[in-house]
Amino acid sequence: MTLFAGTLLLGTLVLIFALASHGGNLFAQGQAYSEKEAQSIDKSLMCPVCPAETIDQAQVEISRQMKAVVREMLSQGSSREEVLDFFVARYGQEVLAAPPKSGVNLLVWILPIVGILAALAGGYLIIKSMASRSTGQVAVAVPAGDAVDVGLEPYLEAVDRHLALIDGGDTAGAFSASNTDRGGVDKLREQQTNREED
Amino acid sequence: MADLGAISLWIALALAGYAAIGSVVGKTRDSAVLVESSRNAIYLLVLVLLVATLSLVVSFINRDFEVAYVAAHSDLAMPDRFTWVAFYAGNEGSLLFISFCLAIMSALAIWLAPVKVRDTLPYTAGALMLVMAFFLAVTSIMANPFDKLPFTPLDGDGINPLLTHFGMFVHPPALMAGLIATSIPFAFAMGSLVGGKTADEWVDTGRVWGIISWALLAVGLLLGSWWAYTILGWGGFWFWDPVENAAFMPWLGLTAFVHSIMVQKRRGMFRMWNVVLINVAFGLALYGMFMNRGGSVPSVHSFGSSSLGWVFLLFLGIGILVPFIIFFWRYPLLKSAQNLDSMLSREAAFLVNNLLLLAIAGVTLWGTVYPLISKLFTGVELTVARPFYDQVNGPLMLALIFLMGVGPLLPWRRATPASVRRALMPPGIAAAATVLILLAFGLRHEYALIAFGLAAAVSAGIFVEWYRGAGSRQRSSGENYPLAFLRLIAANRPRYGGYIVHLSIVMVALGVVGTTFFNTQRDVVLAPGERVEVADYEIRYLGTTEIPKGNRTDFISSVEVYRDGKLLETIEPNRSFYPSFNMASTRAAIRSTPVEDLFVVPSENLEDGSVGFRILVNPLIWWMWVAGPVLVLGTVVSLWPQRVRVTAPVKTPSRVPSGPRPSAA
Repeated sequence: MTLFAGTLLLGTLVLIFALASHGGNLFAQGQAYSEKEAQSIDKSLMCPVCPAETIDQAQVEISRQMKAVVREMLSQGSSREEVLDFFVARYGQEVLAAPPKSGVNLLVWILPIVGILAALAGGYLIIKSMASRSTGQVAVAVPAGDAVDVGLEPYLEAVDRHLALIDGGDTAGAFSASNTDRGGVDKLREQQTNREED
Repeated sequence: MADLGAISLWIALALAGYAAIGSVVGKTRDSAVLVESSRNAIYLLVLVLLVATLSLVVSFINRDFEVAYVAAHSDLAMPDRFTWVAFYAGNEGSLLFISFCLAIMSALAIWLAPVKVRDTLPYTAGALMLVMAFFLAVTSIMANPFDKLPFTPLDGDGINPLLTHFGMFVHPPALMAGLIATSIPFAFAMGSLVGGKTADEWVDTGRVWGIISWALLAVGLLLGSWWAYTILGWGGFWFWDPVENAAFMPWLGLTAFVHSIMVQKRRGMFRMWNVVLINVAFGLALYGMFMNRGGSVPSVHSFGSSSLGWVFLLFLGIGILVPFIIFFWRYPLLKSAQNLDSMLSREAAFLVNNLLLLAIAGVTLWGTVYPLISKLFTGVELTVARPFYDQVNGPLMLALIFLMGVGPLLPWRRATPASVRRALMPPGIAAAATVLILLAFGLRHEYALIAFGLAAAVSAGIFVEWYRGAGSRQRSSGENYPLAFLRLIAANRPRYGGYIVHLSIVMVALGVVGTTFFNTQRDVVLAPGERVEVADYEIRYLGTTEIPKGNRTDFISSVEVYRDGKLLETIEPNRSFYPSFNMASTRAAIRSTPVEDLFVVPSENLEDGSVGFRILVNPLIWWMWVAGPVLVLGTVVSLWPQRVRVTAPVKTPSRVPSGPRPSAA
């Protein structure tokens, strides 16, 4: 456990160190507008003349001018939406890095979410039907199977407890073959360990 | 030399056609001779394409500008070592490179094929050679790198300056090789299906080649990100550019495949699903090559726009349709040997992981095609770029990291709630502790809190497992801890290699979260001697030296970096202007530490000697680049050959009285 705790501690320290040195600086550039906001707008506007680059990325004259316009409008009190609308009026919808979440374009946002939910629901149903089929099938095909299994249940639990006592939990892949003298429990244990590998 | 190359290409095309037809006909007519000679044709193909490749290399070294491709992608000023990059700087060379890779991998796959798949190997060879013939036909007919100009120019156009970067020596070839390598597991799946096998025979071979292809793509993607970070001059590494997406989607498909194939390997389940997955991955790889080489969407990768679009589109259609027809034809063979026992099992976790990976790929594909749909139906041109993918794929990726922590800790078949609780205790504690500590330090970003918590959980789960495994080995065999740990890993390579890869993914996640939510950016114009403060750093610009070179002018700026009033180091970001391309290439100066990167790049050089700098402080991004070697290590470990202990899943119905819990592994 000490190794684990040490690693955890070290990892956390690195993170804290990294984050603590940044938390205070997010809004350090205190002008009439927030530079962070301006940069976020830069990242939402495509450069009209470069292939697939935002004005934040592109290093051409027009993107510099657009960035200047963004800051000028912000310093005159325009909101984010007003700035974006201004550029849409000039360059059309395609100047936005992502379609607005309104009107027809709501589709682009909603459809993937609907699709994912449907896929997860479908996956859930498949797993459920497979799981129930597996028990149902056995019950019909090998009626004795379940009875045997039920009878073994306490024994298996005892093995689980035994394992937990020895190794303090799951010992996937840990069993060594060097032990030559094995009792029945050890054999079972090996079986379980093998099963849990991979 | 160019003529030799051109002739070799045609011979190669003939060989591929012969091998494709010969394998299949030989197999169906039971002619061992024909099958044998087709196989030899594949081996010969490697040699013939080696000749073609070498002739193009020699043409480059000799700067034989009569060859149009050489004239377009090199000049006299280009150092010889860039021949490697110039080789695939345009469509023609890339296609030759892809063909050569496919030839080598096909020959290796066929030569090394295990006995299990020998019976259906001719079909596999046939499928591979059909793909091969397509690429060779396109290369020799439509995009021949050996085509000549009617005159010999005095000098070439030169190599694209963006390509003269170390990352470019590996990123494009790794991606092209990775994309085309998808054909190999795909061909084994198809061979096994067409041959009417129950489809477990191809699993081991399919897994190995699937992982190779996966790792090549992963390395290519990471190096591409690194290249973008150091050279593109805006300080980011991933932009959901259509071509980035095109390489990312097959990688997602393969990630799903290499996980799900383990379920078939161990439990004889998911047979149909695996065939579907490898078909999808192959289709996405074809799409990737189509996007990259067809050049139909605006992208930073539009190096060689071309007329190859429709041919690739046609092949893409065939490459997706035919495998699915074969799949439905052989559908009855693909019944699983066993069924899923419980919702709470590793199999179920794998299935959900597959769904999530495909969901991310689906969202990405949707975002890529939506602009076309919108233009078609509403006539409105619009863009779907980073904000969309960040918002929709971000949560999905977090869910995936969650599963990465939970899945490997669940046992096969069926977990009891008690055992799950026990297994998930350490990661749960690690996650909770991380979140609480971060909250105590004033971190309030929900996304970042969740992501760091999950990262801690995954790592804790892995480390605890290693620690327990090594501990129990140490007790039972008396080995010391380091040795016990190494033996533990060696004893079950697929599993422990997988853990190493998972750690590398956690490292990538740290980099992504750190830079996305906690970076500081400033764009400033500084005159010599001026200072600016960015985060904890103070930057002082000293001046710029101008160095004229043969094909460009280098502007090297000297910048001092201070923290707490102490001079840390003097860095030299530079910017080169290439008059013949009317293009500048930048090389950022990066002061990299595990905690954060200080990134300084000149974006413009003004007349009066002042320079526009972009200065970034990117926390944790170092981890992302270190993840690359870790990922490769994990892949090598999981692929390293191991004495086979159990080859096929037990096929007896479950729960017969022969044993309490019949082991499938």
